[in-house]
Amino acid sequence: MNAETVQAIIDDLGALLLFTMILIVAASQISRAIYAVAAQSLFIAIAGAVLATATGNMDLWVIAGVTLAVKAIVLPWVLHLVVRRMNVRREVEPVIPIAATLVLALMVVVMSFHLSASIGTVRQAITGNALPVGIALTLTGVLVMATRKTALTQMVGLFASENGIFFTAMAVTQGMPLIIEIGVILDVILAALVMTIMVLRVRSTVDADIADLDRLKG
Amino acid sequence: MAETLLWVLPLVPTVTALAMLATRRRRILSLLDVCGSALLAALTLVLAREVAADGPRALGVLRLDDLGLVFLLLLVVLNLAVSLYTIGWLRQAVAVGNMKARSLRSYFVLVHAFVATMVVTILADNLGILWIAMEGTTITSAVLIGYHGHRHGLEAAWKYIIVTTIGISFGLFGTVLIYAAAADVMGGAGAMSWTAIMQVAPKLDPGIVRIGFIFVIIGYGTKAGLAPMHLWLPDAHSQAPTPVSALLSGVLIKCALLAIIRFQTIAAAACGTAFAEEVLLVFGLTSVVVATPFILAQRDLKRLLGYHSVEHVGIVALGLGFGGAIGTYGALLHVVNHGVTKALAFFAAGTAIARYGSRDMRSIRGLFAVAPIGATLLMLAALSLAGMPPFSIFVSELMVLRAGIGHGLWVAIAIFLVMVVVIFAGLLHHAGAMVFGEPRGAGRRPEAWSPLAAMVLLATIMVLFGLTIPANFDGVLRRAVGIVVG
Repeated sequence: MNAETVQAIIDDLGALLLFTMILIVAASQISRAIYAVAAQSLFIAIAGAVLATATGNMDLWVIAGVTLAVKAIVLPWVLHLVVRRMNVRREVEPVIPIAATLVLALMVVVMSFHLSASIGTVRQAITGNALPVGIALTLTGVLVMATRKTALTQMVGLFASENGIFFTAMAVTQGMPLIIEIGVILDVILAALVMTIMVLRVRSTVDADIADLDRLKG
Repeated sequence: MAETLLWVLPLVPTVTALAMLATRRRRILSLLDVCGSALLAALTLVLAREVAADGPRALGVLRLDDLGLVFLLLLVVLNLAVSLYTIGWLRQAVAVGNMKARSLRSYFVLVHAFVATMVVTILADNLGILWIAMEGTTITSAVLIGYHGHRHGLEAAWKYIIVTTIGISFGLFGTVLIYAAAADVMGGAGAMSWTAIMQVAPKLDPGIVRIGFIFVIIGYGTKAGLAPMHLWLPDAHSQAPTPVSALLSGVLIKCALLAIIRFQTIAAAACGTAFAEEVLLVFGLTSVVVATPFILAQRDLKRLLGYHSVEHVGIVALGLGFGGAIGTYGALLHVVNHGVTKALAFFAAGTAIARYGSRDMRSIRGLFAVAPIGATLLMLAALSLAGMPPFSIFVSELMVLRAGIGHGLWVAIAIFLVMVVVIFAGLLHHAGAMVFGEPRGAGRRPEAWSPLAAMVLLATIMVLFGLTIPANFDGVLRRAVGIVVG
């Protein structure tokens, strides 16, 4: 593949990533948000594979494979399992209306393109729009975590945010050192595990959803 | 020898945790706990001697310089005190049913896993490893915060894990940006090592480092409890079991500060000291101002201490923000002083809460009549926290103030002074009401020896550091300041 093809593919994948992010923000049902974040991780894995072919960097293959296995398959599957196990009575429960979150997400995307225009001097493995897409994904993921009450939606936001960081790392430096990326993925898995246990524990010990816990103030 | 020790240090708590899996008996677990902590402290002292004599030691991704040594010493001393305190605290907690005798093992294992991750954050030279270990502290401590398993604890734990994970995502993002800037200068290999980055730091692109530093300070600032990202802190620090509260307030938020200092030195070298200092100054002042009303109006004793940590983290950030040798020295000394004093305060508060069966400060009255030693220690801790001479915190606050005056930042100094005075009055009012007066709601049971031993250990350090700073430690602090100021 020549450089232009790679860049075109990465740009297209970036557009798809942003599209899945909009799906996550707009999702009114938790299961749709989970499918959307799984699709997003799949695109990240494809982006990693494309870059690996283009640059011949073996580490990127490993990262793409781990991303595919962990983030696109295992974690969404676990989330689905929890949804079924808990017999979720409530859906996304936004703190502010979903439409308002979409407007905010749009602003985040515009801001990201502005921001990355100002730091364009740094060498990029792939020029083009990968960096702003990465920033937008990270910030929108955080937005989702901050504007949703239910635990599972917050976890989806976390995964999306982490996807954004991975994409940024690929975009600006062909990925972080392998050992670091693996460590980061391991942390994400552990965090997801602990969060899942907490969700189930809250249900079993105090018979409430995380969203109902709001007594600590002042 | 010293290089190998670097890798042995995080292994000590890990091995202790594994050894604990072999038993369920409280006495044996406590014994292992104290032995593990004592061993960690002893090995750290050995390492400290070597670092003091021959300079920084590094092996692979781990490295210990004098800056890290300040934090590592604080960690091992507090960890030892926590282990001692836990013996008596646990006996009482099991007796009243706060801790279930059957699940003690997992508690101890988690505490040591938590300590191991904190040791790695202090020793990490690679900024990626630093981030991974920092997220590791979040995961292990989140479980500990919700350990009691009641509604409030679980709420605090969830809030903690979500807010700090959001925050720390920003930290990773900032790390990636600074890595990108460094990789641009020196090529990919080694561009995540702090030492390597520092060597090329003046050549880094200032624009990208500036944005990276903002992300990092929001990220690790969340973990450190800087306002306005502090929202999780009062909940988590008040709901956690008391020994864990002491570790969270005394050590963990200081580890996050160390991470901020590491990035501050990079940012200062790449885009001038003024930028990083201004950012820290703004966050520091915000924290001090935001914490004040909550301290005054607080009814829950442990929440009071939580908000107080926000104030003191703000003071450390102020010291770093005022900058210069004096400001940085004051900030590092304040890290140690506040860590020791806050752990003492949590211990004394936890003992008082257990005695009265309530965390509401209105129902804790006349502590001096029922538990004279514990009450004296609580009062000493409160006096020190409020900034009374001759205790240690007074000294470091004065240095921070002196640095501000040296730079002529009068507005910041005025705000800082007003807040400190208000908090002084508020804290003494709270403490005085608890310690003096007619006791009610608590009998005069004898005070357990192990919590007292832990508290006396910390109180001794607190008083000593107020009167004089030992020459060895002063040397470590001076060299650490040299690393930050350059």
